[in-house]
Amino acid sequence: MQPRPKNGLQPVFCTIVPPHVLDKLSQADDPRLADPARRTLEADGARRHHRRVTALARTPGAARTSAPVPAKPHRTLYDCRHGTDLPGVKVRDEGDEATQDASVNRAYAGLGATFDLLLTEYGRSSIDGKGLPLIGSVHYDEKYNNAFFDGEQMVFGDGDGEIFLDFTVAIDVIAHELAHGLTQYTANLAYEGQSGALNESVSDVFGSLVKQYSLGQSADQGDWLIGAGLLAPRVSGVALRSMKAPGTAYDDDVLGKDPQPASMDDYVETDEDNGGVHINSGIPNRAFYLLATALGGNAWERAGQIWFDVLTGGELAQDASFTDFAKLTVAAARHRFGEGDEAEAVLKAWSEVGVPTR
Amino acid sequence: MRIQVSRTGGFAGIARHGEVETAGRPDAADWEALAEAAVAGGRGGPPAGVPDGFRYRITVGDLAVDCADPRLTEAQRTLISRVLKEGA
Repeated sequence: MQPRPKNGLQPVFCTIVPPHVLDKLSQADDPRLADPARRTLEADGARRHHRRVTALARTPGAARTSAPVPAKPHRTLYDCRHGTDLPGVKVRDEGDEATQDASVNRAYAGLGATFDLLLTEYGRSSIDGKGLPLIGSVHYDEKYNNAFFDGEQMVFGDGDGEIFLDFTVAIDVIAHELAHGLTQYTANLAYEGQSGALNESVSDVFGSLVKQYSLGQSADQGDWLIGAGLLAPRVSGVALRSMKAPGTAYDDDVLGKDPQPASMDDYVETDEDNGGVHINSGIPNRAFYLLATALGGNAWERAGQIWFDVLTGGELAQDASFTDFAKLTVAAARHRFGEGDEAEAVLKAWSEVGVPTR
Repeated sequence: MRIQVSRTGGFAGIARHGEVETAGRPDAADWEALAEAAVAGGRGGPPAGVPDGFRYRITVGDLAVDCADPRLTEAQRTLISRVLKEGA
């Protein structure tokens, strides 16, 4: 339970305010603003413990493995100091106090939230299932408009301030990068064409789930946006992608218009971007959104479990097509929840985006 | 000499293109030396790339090479930054 608020402000900090605002507030001189924000950023320990206990209680078998695995993350953050040598200078190790650098603290918290979701909801210790240490580097290069996963670690640029802001401002972006690691250690979807778009979509799905989980939002409360808060103020747009309404995240003079299709009717054939992996991911993204909102409640519970089961189940081929993936989600829904609402909702979601499931 | 840089991929999946015509520029020799070094470092087929990493095609005259973050040579990185006027 959260402590009772002493003034009207605290519940707001716990559920709505984005991390970058919390960062700013936590640095504020006024302790009435700074203290609750800092507490929220540090993620209330009691609440996490409660979640962990309840989650483990309802995922029988999932957490049991032959060897004991770490139940805590081991995060190490590095500062590239605007250079391109990776990983850079070590600035915060697991358990260290927060630094003066908001980018470091946001990445640390985002990696922690992702670790927490994987462990408490799906019984998986880190991205490899064996407690793999998590490494992140911030302030990569100068005015660098990107974040990526290099196979071993996450890398975040500061943005140029003209189009993009610091890539650590969005917790879903941090979790998206870490989810690339999860995919690499599990289905290892080839980063090309439809399997590449699935790889991207899985990262958006878990990115969005981590955001909703950390904010305590149910499916109908989530914004289902990827990179909200990442666009500079002058850009006309709300985020980089919308899982709810692909193709509507931005429409800007410099950036162009969000090119994502919302269904197979508008699937984009292209040689760029590894065959449009960041474009066609809109289709499975929307299928997940439709499933999660049809089921209601917390998206990470049933919808997220089905996706997690497919990703980690060992049957998803590296070169899987959308249909291959869709079929496996139907099977996973039946396997875990039987014939019922879940399997029905999965079939309906894929049908709505035009992906055949048989 | 015409130097072109095309960038695709990246977290946002937004393509960028830039080019420089060195003819008549006072710093043409510097550009050409940099471009030749960038192309020389890129031979050996397209790189694998990494998830969300930028991919680049550098075209110098008739020669084109593909490269990808984060494994760029210094010359490639410098050229890309100068042509696209962004970090690389």
